[in-house]
Amino acid sequence: MNFKRFPLPDLAAHLSDYLRGQGIEVVLSGGACVTIYSQNKYLSYDLDFVLTSYVARRKLRETMRTIGFSEDGRHFRHPDTPFIIEFLSPPLSVGQEPVKNITEIIKRDKILKLLSPTDCIKDRLAAFYHWNDRQSLEQAILVSLSQRVDLREIRRWSLREGMAEKLAIFRESLKKRRAAHRLHR
Amino acid sequence: MLEALLGSEKKEKILLFLFTHGEAYPREVARTFQFHLNTVQNQLLKLEQDGVVYSRRRGKVRLFGLSPRYAFKKELETLLEKALGFMPQEEVARFYRPRLRPRRTGKPL
Repeated sequence: MNFKRFPLPDLAAHLSDYLRGQGIEVVLSGGACVTIYSQNKYLSYDLDFVLTSYVARRKLRETMRTIGFSEDGRHFRHPDTPFIIEFLSPPLSVGQEPVKNITEIIKRDKILKLLSPTDCIKDRLAAFYHWNDRQSLEQAILVSLSQRVDLREIRRWSLREGMAEKLAIFRESLKKRRAAHRLHR
Repeated sequence: MLEALLGSEKKEKILLFLFTHGEAYPREVARTFQFHLNTVQNQLLKLEQDGVVYSRRRGKVRLFGLSPRYAFKKELETLLEKALGFMPQEEVARFYRPRLRPRRTGKPL
């Protein structure tokens, strides 16, 4: 398979579909979801797939090798694509809570399962909340500006994570960006 | 204490060390328990792969800690805290009670 012309969403969908055919269910998370939801305003080269159940590393290695990906430490690489694949252990969670609603999109007739826009924001905010990572805060804002998201749910989750003060920073930053966004339209 | 659950006494000690110290580098853990460095590194990498611990570079060393994003972090900490309660006090004092508060430069011990 030639992956040279595959943008990130197409590659993710292709891999997800292929893995499903091999009995391996995955859900895309992390920065790749931000790329998809922000329409490339942020470009990630990491495809983080969360396994929905335990899969032996040997099985992953062999399954990926069949389509030309080789193992490089924790990651898988293919000579035709700059994107790096990583498989994360279950459970699929954002902070301390399991992810219940998974979004599906179709690319090149293949189904890609990924975090919903709301859970994608929680995932990014978790990095901001726990590591103080401002890049993740920016990514959460980019998704909030591009997608319909449930801000009430994000508030509930943030308070449960004990992050009221940092939630306030996110809301204030988002408010300013929305105002700037309206001015430029 | 928890080796029946964790499958390894070394893994238990490494987790308890991270729990009580906040962050640690592999050589520090290996030296404390007189484990092989490779053993500690392998356990930490596996735990990182499974999302239980995180790592970050600080200068020339890689520090590991319990990941705040691990879904079962609270429950794991509860287990580790309980395990410490069952441990002989001398062992806790020797391995799991580090001084974490700051000490001013030049202050005598």
